[in-house]
Parts: sequence; structure tokens; C-alpha cells
Amino acid sequence: MPASTLSQHAPPQLVLELPPETAFLPSAAAAAENAAQVFGLDSGGALRLALAVEEFFAYLCRHAGREEPIRLTLSQGGTFTRADFRFRAGEVSLRALNFAASVDLEAGEDLELGLLVAARTTDRCGLTRSGPDVFHLHAEVDRVYPEAEAITTPQRLSPPLRLEPAPTAGTLQHAALLAAGRYPARLRPHSFTRPARFADMVACGQYQALLALDTADRPAGLLCWRASGRRAVVFSGPYVFDPQLAQDTARLLTEGFLARVARTEVLCAFSERPTADLPQGWFESLGNLTLRGAEGSESVEQPAFFRHLREDAGAAVWAHPDLFPFLRREYDRLAFSRDLLAAEPTPPARLPEHSLLATSLDRLRSLAILRPLLDGRDIEASLKAHVEAIHEQGTSDILLHLDLSEPWQGALFPALSACGFVPRLVLPHAGASDMLVCQHAVHS
Amino acid sequence: MPSIAELVPEHIRAFEAYTPSRPDPDLMRQYGVDHLHRLNNNENALGPPPNARAVIEAFESRRSAIYPSGDCYTLRTALSERFGKDPERFLVGNGSCEVIASVIKAFCEKGDNIITADKTFAVYEWVAEFSGFEARLIPLNNWAFDPDAMLAAMDSRTKILFVCNPNNPTGTWWDRDVMERFLRGVAGRAIVVIDEAYCEYVDDERFPDGMELMERHKNVVVFRTFSKMYALAGLRVGYVCGQKEVVDYIRRTHIVYSVNSMGQPAAAAALKDDAGHIAATRLMVAEAKALLLPAFDELGLKYVSNAGNFVMVETPVSDSLIYRHLMRRGIMVRTMTGFRFPNWIRVSMVQLPVMQEFLQALREVLGIVAGTRT
Repeated sequence: MPASTLSQHAPPQLVLELPPETAFLPSAAAAAENAAQVFGLDSGGALRLALAVEEFFAYLCRHAGREEPIRLTLSQGGTFTRADFRFRAGEVSLRALNFAASVDLEAGEDLELGLLVAARTTDRCGLTRSGPDVFHLHAEVDRVYPEAEAITTPQRLSPPLRLEPAPTAGTLQHAALLAAGRYPARLRPHSFTRPARFADMVACGQYQALLALDTADRPAGLLCWRASGRRAVVFSGPYVFDPQLAQDTARLLTEGFLARVARTEVLCAFSERPTADLPQGWFESLGNLTLRGAEGSESVEQPAFFRHLREDAGAAVWAHPDLFPFLRREYDRLAFSRDLLAAEPTPPARLPEHSLLATSLDRLRSLAILRPLLDGRDIEASLKAHVEAIHEQGTSDILLHLDLSEPWQGALFPALSACGFVPRLVLPHAGASDMLVCQHAVHS
Repeated sequence: MPSIAELVPEHIRAFEAYTPSRPDPDLMRQYGVDHLHRLNNNENALGPPPNARAVIEAFESRRSAIYPSGDCYTLRTALSERFGKDPERFLVGNGSCEVIASVIKAFCEKGDNIITADKTFAVYEWVAEFSGFEARLIPLNNWAFDPDAMLAAMDSRTKILFVCNPNNPTGTWWDRDVMERFLRGVAGRAIVVIDEAYCEYVDDERFPDGMELMERHKNVVVFRTFSKMYALAGLRVGYVCGQKEVVDYIRRTHIVYSVNSMGQPAAAAALKDDAGHIAATRLMVAEAKALLLPAFDELGLKYVSNAGNFVMVETPVSDSLIYRHLMRRGIMVRTMTGFRFPNWIRVSMVQLPVMQEFLQALREVLGIVAGTRT
């Protein structure tokens, strides 16, 4: 198996500052295509990224503030190429940044397909906010890696096992294929069946991985994790390759994982794809999400596990009183001390006309995550439009994250509820404070 | 213009600041309790020895307007009399954390490394890392520092080896033979810091006395503190003792005037006639262990109990979950995930009524979590 060619140092990038004028559209698209090829995408991938950049740029020319240029950063993320537009937007044009802005919120408005087109041509895209009126639109296209056959041969390994904190690319690829042979697709990263991609993701820091080896240095288990924001990690696994050593392997990996993250800035560990081998007593259950996944697959109950790596000093959260029963039950069950502060919706007269929602789409997982960025009188209509638009473009599962440190977000619950969202999980310390995860209930 | 972050060295950006617990009134309000027993910091619940207590009670507020002795002259004289060494061989700091930083600053430069254990007092590792030096962390062997592995990890850039004796949080300690063999192995190639923060809790003639070792091994430096046995944690007084030449180098990096005017005389007074206080404290710890250890056995809980006024207990669920449940009952323990002992808690040994309350709370919490294990 080939060794990884990536390193964690100095990812290359190309930065352009472009006036928001359509005359520069070819410049943006050409730069994206060229950079994508230099950064390792094949011609098809480079073209897809260029198309997304073209659509984003055309879109921003119409709606971004004109007082300063749009900054386009094209960067290599190890296994993908990313295009990031940083721009300033005045309040008047913010609504147009909604993923569902193309859906007819007001009769007679022209349809705009920009963001929808971009979403379809990329592997992930989304909108984030980094200042009062500074926004980022980003799109990512993955490098193509060869698929490999999962290894299904039963492993008979020789204890005692030991941890390998810095596995080689070859050992990682071997372990990924062993995991692919023992666990269903929903319980492992997609990259396990494209093992060179997985090894590259570890090499460039997208994932961290811990391997258990037996006395003959054969892979006995794997656990991997990635950052989720600055203060949390999400983990997949543990994957164990010899069922007879399952308990020991899983415990070794779990303990090693916690030791690795315990003295870092990470506050919490959450499960992303927990397996049944997760040892008992090491994580707390936060509840389940019902995920339908890609078209044709059956709904599954995805448990969510959590572990706090520090001592909890208590906190206050804002929530609409309708949410109090759910929150009280969850906080009591989890023994978290929280002051629940009542957040009432802002009177419509004091709200701007349009709200703004950030949408992250993950095509491979058929998952959309909405995050409210700005409140507005049209929040309910906008949410409904988003749900409709996301379902129309083929995404099955829609989650909505509310940061309960923000009173206005806590107060949105009646609007969410009216659109079919139900509270499912509280993620302690996942935002500035705790995060509430709501799920659109149509498909659950 | 660069961002603030761009002005910061990479090793500082990567470093996580320590977050101390909130003040008791805040925690009590948050957790809805009317009292809080702090069993998390290995403080001596008996309070300071009588002589130190008298000094504190007699402290006149007008003295707060005057700078303290910049080099703790009187306290160093008291230490000199106590240990029969030149006062210049003592350097006093604002708790032993300050002297850890001073020693590392004195001996390490870019490219150097320090060696210690992976599961010990975290400050050696933290100070090295936020100073930009590599901390080589050697796994404990059977709960104890591993002398052979530490020696094997040395290279020409190893400047300091930190040995916590007894170790916090496992309470294990090297006896005279092991320590001598280790020091012979180091053979003067690096400074050996023996952190004896809990030495007064050991009543065993096999325990090596760092104050005596440094007379035969010139590279030995000893840390001691008034925060543990002497119950002056709130006044922050710790010190380093070594050969005069070694201490002279450390002094060059050390901040003067860092030890306050009440702490200096209180610490000096604590040394006088401390035998009764030490005996009473040891008795309190022994009684606490006599109550708790059989109870842990009965509950089926694994524990590590050696020297020191603390016991580490393995929990059937996450230590942070146990912490939250105990806090709801007015008991504060230390979670051990940050010490790289996930699913363990460390409990300070204090007077029996509080230990009984802790035990009752622990039984209740274990009953609750037994139904919710994941």
C-alpha cells in the first residue's frame, strides 16, 4: 500500500481579492480550477469546484456589500480542496444568503438557483459568520481515491495488546479495511473503504487515530477522532478486529484516546459513529437521533454519547419556557446544574424583516444541519422553505442546532416546533454554552 | 496588521490554560447545596499548626501596606536551622509551582527536554510545554515512577528529571535503594528534582530523605511545600533546597517579593514544634482510610491507597458524572481524567464525620448510576 504523501505542515493556499463585479467571474472560476488541480483534484473535481465558485461569485456580486472586495481563498485541506468566500453583507441583502432564498418567500420574486447549484456540485458547502456583518461561504470537493476491498477474514491475534500512537500510513490503511470488513457503513467513516484517503486524513490532521497492535504488530483495533469546534472532539469506534479480544481492545483504545485528549484544550468528547464495542461506563448517553441516511437505506437509531473531560462548574442557558420540561428532564438525568433562563420571542415590531439561517450540507451522509444566524420576522416561513428545499435536493435528515447561550436562539423554539422540529438532544458545552439539537420530524 | 494570535508563539497557542474551580458560594448556589466539603485538593482539614495559627491571627492589617521580605530572609533562616544547611541553599516561592517554573527557566534552553511520569502532578509537564520545551512522559509501572524507563529516555538534551516522591495521585514512593540506584544512573548528567510535597505523610524509615541525598548527589534539588501537611495552602509558600551553586542559578530566574508578608512568618512558625500537628494529621488520615478502604472493598471499588492524605478510587462510570452527582450532595472530589486516569476520582482524607458523609453520598450516587450505565 502506498505511504501517505501529505504532511501536517503549511497547507498551500491561493488568495484573491475580487471586486464584486461579474466581469471578474472568469478570473474566479479559472483560479479555482487551476488551484484545485494543483492541490490534487482530478479534472472532474476541479471543474465541479470551479462551477461552485462561479455560482457563488455570481450570487455574491448581486448581494454582497460593495464597500470592499470579496476575498476568495482556495486551499488544500489534505484530502479536499476548499473555496472560501469572505465578504461583508449589509442587512438589506442578508436574506439572499439563505440556502432557501431561491424558494419563493415573496410572491413575484425571481428564482435564484445559485446556492442550490453550488450545493449539488460540491461534497460539502455552508455559510458561517465571523463578525457582525462578515460572512463566509465555503464549498469543498474531495480528491478521488481508489476503493479497496474490505478485509473480512477473521483475525486471531496474540495478546497482550499495546497502543501505537503514531501508526504508519500502511498500518492505518490495513486497519481501516479490517474495520470496513467488520462494521456496517453507517458505523465507520466513508474513507475506510478508500483507505489511502483515510491515511491522508490522518497525515494532514483531519483525523487523529490510535491503533492497538498485538505481539506480532498486527492491527487489533482502531479508534479515530476529529475536532469539532475548538473545545470538542467527535470520535468513531472503537473498532476491534478479534472478537475474542473485544473487551480488552476497546478498553485499551478508549483509555488511550481519553489520555490523549485529557490535557488539551478539549472540554468534551462526543460520539460520531459509536460502535457496540464502546466499553460500558466510559460515556454518558445523551439520547438518540433517528437517521434515515442516503436514499434507500433504512432508518437507524443513532445513539449519542458524551464525556466531559473537566469538572462541571454549572452554567446558565436561555430557552423558551415550552422547552423547560425537556431541558429539566435532560439536565436532571445527566446531573448537570443549569440555571434555566426564560427567553421570550422578540416582538415582531423590533425584529428585522428577514432572518438568516446557516446551512451545512453533507451529501455523502445525506445530512443537513441548520444554525440560526439572525432572527427575523420571516423565521418560520424561512425554516419551512429551508426544509422543503433541502428535501427537494435529496437530503433526508435535517438537524437544527440552537446555541442556548443566546437568548434569541432559545426563544426560537415555538417557530421551530411549528415547522416540525422536535428537541432530541442537549450537547453540554458544545456551543458557547450547551447546544440543543432539534430534528425535523417528518422522516423520524 | 497581524492578529493577536499571530503575535503568540505556537507552543503558547497550543497550550490550554488551567481553569480552577469557581468559588464555593458560586458552586453551592449552582448545585443547590447549603454546604460544600472540599475533598479535591488534598488540603489538611485540621488547619495550620498552633504556632502558625497564632501568627496569622496576630497579623496586623497595617503590615499589608509594606512589602514583604524580598528573599524571605527570616523564613530561610528558620529552614536553615531546621535542616542544618546554609540559608543560601533555600529559595522560597509562591507555592512550589513557582519554583518549578524557576528551575525549568534556569536549566532549559531551546531543544532541551525534561523527563517525568505521564500520570503525576501536571505542573512539571505544563510548565515545560508552555515554556517551549519537550516533556518526555514515562508511563507509570505498577502505579509508580519507572526509574529504568526514565533513565532510558535520557539523552544529551535532557536537563531535568522530575520525581514526585510520594507520587500524586498514586501515593507510591521510591525507597532508598531505588532512589540511590536511580541517582547513580543519572550520574550527574542532569538535575534531579525530588518533589517531596507529601513527604511528611510517610512514616517509614525506608523513605529516602532528599535533604540528605543532596549532600552526596550534587545534582539533586528538593521541593517542599507548606500547602499540604502544614495547611497553609491559602498563603502559597513552597521552597526549593539544593547545593549552593545550583540554587544560585535558580535564584537568577526567580521573582523576588513573590511570597506575602503573612505567609513568611506563618511558615516559619509552622516549623516550630510541629511534631504534634504531624502526628494528629497522620492519625486523621489513618482513621479516614480505616473507614473508607473496607467500604470501598464492600462496594467492589478498586482503589489505590499509599502514602499521602488522599486515595484514588476507580468509578464504574465517568468520573465527571460521579463528580456532578456528588456535588449535588455537597461533596467535591477531584476527577482524574486530567491526570490521565479516566474513570477514577481522588478523595482527600479528612475528619471522620465528613468521610462518613462522603461515603453515604457515594453509596447513593453509585445506586443512581448503576441504572444508567452506558
